[in-house]
Amino acid sequence: MRPRLLIKRLLFLVLVIWAASTIVFFIPRLSSRNALRERFAELARTGGFSSTDMEKIIASMQKQFGLDQPLLQQYWQYLNNLVHLDFGVSLYKYPATVTELIAQALPWSISLLLVTTILSFVIGNLLGAIAAWPRSPRWMRGIATPFVLLTGVPPVIMGVLLLFFIGFRLKLLPLGGSYSVGLIPDWSWPFFLDLMAHQILPALALIFGSVGGWVLSMRGMGITIQGEDYVNFAEHKGLTPGRIFRDYYLRNTLLPQVTGLALALGTVVTSAIIVEGLFALPGIGSLINVAIRANDFPTIYGIVIFITIAVAVLMAILEFVYPLIDPRVKNE
Amino acid sequence: MLKFKLAVAAIIAAAALAAPTVGYAQATPPTTGEIKPASLADVPRNQTLVVGWGVSGGEPIGDTNPWALPGYTHQAGNVLMWEPLMYFAIFKNEYIPWLADSMDYNADFTSLTIKLNKDAAWSDGTPVTSADVAYTFEQQLANDKLPYHANFVQFMDSVTTPDPLTAIVKFKTPAPRFKFEVLSLKFDTGIPIVQKAWESKQKDYTAVAGGTEIPHSGPYNIVAWNNVQKIYDLRPDWWAIKAGRHAVPAVKRVIVVNTLDQTVDTVAQRLVTNEFDSSTDMRAQIIGNILDQNKDVSSWTGNESPYGYLDWWPNSLWMNTQLAPYNDPNIRKAMSLAIDRDKINEVLYDGAKIASIYPFPLYPNLQKFADSPEVKAEEAKYNPGEFNLDKSAALMTAAGYAKNGDGLWAKDGKTINAVIQAFPSIHGDIAPILAEMLHTAGFDSDVNFGTDAYQNMADGKPGLYLFGHGASLFDPFEALNLFHGKYSAQIGTTAGNSRFSRYKNAEFDALLDDASPRASDDPKFQSDLAQALGIYWRDTIDIPVIQWLHRIPYNNHYWKNWPSSTNLADGTNGAFWAQTGMLVMTGLQPSGAQ
Repeated sequence: MRPRLLIKRLLFLVLVIWAASTIVFFIPRLSSRNALRERFAELARTGGFSSTDMEKIIASMQKQFGLDQPLLQQYWQYLNNLVHLDFGVSLYKYPATVTELIAQALPWSISLLLVTTILSFVIGNLLGAIAAWPRSPRWMRGIATPFVLLTGVPPVIMGVLLLFFIGFRLKLLPLGGSYSVGLIPDWSWPFFLDLMAHQILPALALIFGSVGGWVLSMRGMGITIQGEDYVNFAEHKGLTPGRIFRDYYLRNTLLPQVTGLALALGTVVTSAIIVEGLFALPGIGSLINVAIRANDFPTIYGIVIFITIAVAVLMAILEFVYPLIDPRVKNE
Repeated sequence: MLKFKLAVAAIIAAAALAAPTVGYAQATPPTTGEIKPASLADVPRNQTLVVGWGVSGGEPIGDTNPWALPGYTHQAGNVLMWEPLMYFAIFKNEYIPWLADSMDYNADFTSLTIKLNKDAAWSDGTPVTSADVAYTFEQQLANDKLPYHANFVQFMDSVTTPDPLTAIVKFKTPAPRFKFEVLSLKFDTGIPIVQKAWESKQKDYTAVAGGTEIPHSGPYNIVAWNNVQKIYDLRPDWWAIKAGRHAVPAVKRVIVVNTLDQTVDTVAQRLVTNEFDSSTDMRAQIIGNILDQNKDVSSWTGNESPYGYLDWWPNSLWMNTQLAPYNDPNIRKAMSLAIDRDKINEVLYDGAKIASIYPFPLYPNLQKFADSPEVKAEEAKYNPGEFNLDKSAALMTAAGYAKNGDGLWAKDGKTINAVIQAFPSIHGDIAPILAEMLHTAGFDSDVNFGTDAYQNMADGKPGLYLFGHGASLFDPFEALNLFHGKYSAQIGTTAGNSRFSRYKNAEFDALLDDASPRASDDPKFQSDLAQALGIYWRDTIDIPVIQWLHRIPYNNHYWKNWPSSTNLADGTNGAFWAQTGMLVMTGLQPSGAQ
């Protein structure tokens, strides 16, 4: 790769992050809601706080957090902090810092969402390719159909059904949480197995909802290339069906899907917001859900910017890696 | 081809490795705040209390310092660490001496003498002294970020410590309710005592989480805390055992499980399967289903509706009384006449009398007040609970309104905005019913469950606000004081919490000002507040709708002796998350299940 292209891509990355951070700064501020007032009102409502003269305390806290400054001054300070990767403190979970909150939540989201997205990709594409492959047995082609039907079921509904039937009625898997109540995380096999048992239902809720999409698009791609010359040539050359499927068929249909995978990684957080809550998984989705409800904008800023950076970097990596998959594409 | 295979292999390998690796990241050295023990003693399930908690998505991890606001909450287990001078047993109508053996006023309520228990001690072994009490009070007075700062500013002049076990508070004005409202823990109010030695060492004690280091006087230590759960273990050296305040608790470990946003149905399932021993309160239908499916689970009223006890948060339909047309008491009264409280009882509470005409909960002392001849006379005069659509219509007609083609009251082509601002998680059942009743009577009503609901109340936007009073527990003063003119925010400014009515009336204020320095059992106090309540009804300052119920599922599979209407236990309310929750949890007895 040429250095000039690399610099161009990196500059674009910075531009994307600046644009996203600017938009995300101003959107929560359009609301008339005051995060500190709502937090103190919640404390007063649920006790632990005398509501007398609440406004005075709120004003004091506003000053402490710099929220009494003009908005543009706050924006400048925000950009300055951003450059130093300082997202500040949470207004809702003070004195925790936003970085701490993200660090606490991130492992759970990565473990669930990355794995389920990639598994959906692998399973969906394999099933889609098999469904389109004319030499597949009829029963194998039929396997894809239920997954296509399940695409219409939102992950939250699927999650509720799985919890009720598999968790509650059949008692086969836990009803929620990241691991069993009372366990302390360690590097032991029993803990690892317990952790996995708790991840199965949320993973299935996400996989069932997304596999169908991959199946459909892969099947479509597969049918499209069936009459291509290079496939006919491979058949007439006498290659084994397995090799034709793997090297001529699957590889060529997979290329656009890889681009889709990168885009899917960008949208996966939206599923997380609901599924993590449903299964009591304390990941990024649960964190941003609470932050939005409380209008805890430092936490919202931190998470959105973190996700923006993560997705932008992933996309950039994919762009650099793509020529390895398809030699016709050159980074020039 | 090789490169392609390598790329695919790399992706699959990443997938296979990601789950265990990143999931295990929790086992890596903790981030700030997280509490991870090197090892944890093995405590069997039948000595462990497991409760589900997810009300606000969890508080900041490691925040055990009551002064680290706004993050700190006592509700998710920290009540096990902090203790007050006294508790108040609301259902027995009596104080429970705790760190203090006594708190006695002088004759005119300008001084309060506090005598501490000689055995009271912190978890680091040092005694709880009057210096700690004085420091707690003085910081509340000096620091405007502390939760009861305004109360101390209003009342406390000084605090002196003649000896290590005695603190004497001097008040600026008679403060007969200070002992109850501020210094005693009940429901969710009051202050705990903190240790001077630790707090005074902090550069800014409102920004220090506390973690495991903060000395506390309560019976449990926090031993583990991440965003999945909190674990508290009993400390055998708890001072209250030696002092004879309490027997050794049978609950050796308390685990507070963070249920985050799990649906209430799933939390219910975790109770049915005995994973949880208790959880937060639930709507009637859900708790009814739990009781049907697990015979070990009970409620405050056993297996019978309404399942709950009275909480301190009776709900009204509030409105901005400075804003037209709600500034007309007749319009407010017409709306009140549209509320059929009998129907509410029938539909939501299986006939139990939960609908209310009072801005305070009917606890024993308040019930006595409500039953007094003076209050009964006011009630007869204004009939605040009346449901009468004809009278409502007559008041609207007299105010110049006529029904439009949609059957809604309108004047100059404009209907009355009667959209109810409410919260879906707690008002999902009652708010639509109220909206329908108002709509039937001709008011342009609907429900707003949006995230802007609270801000609309504070801003005084047009419409109705479904909200509680959270004020009175023992006498009616604090509830009626919510409507005192000194708290009446002008239009365009933000109203304080539970002061949304912005009401102002010199006659009403004079009654409260006269009652303020008097004791609750003073006949003049009773008379003043009966008249004030009469004005509340006469002017329909807000429209009282329902008493608030806490319907908490109690699982007797592992633990028995949960508080109930037939077993008052210590006489506190039955919520493990309330300020009195420590007494509920330490009062449990094993059922014998293995």
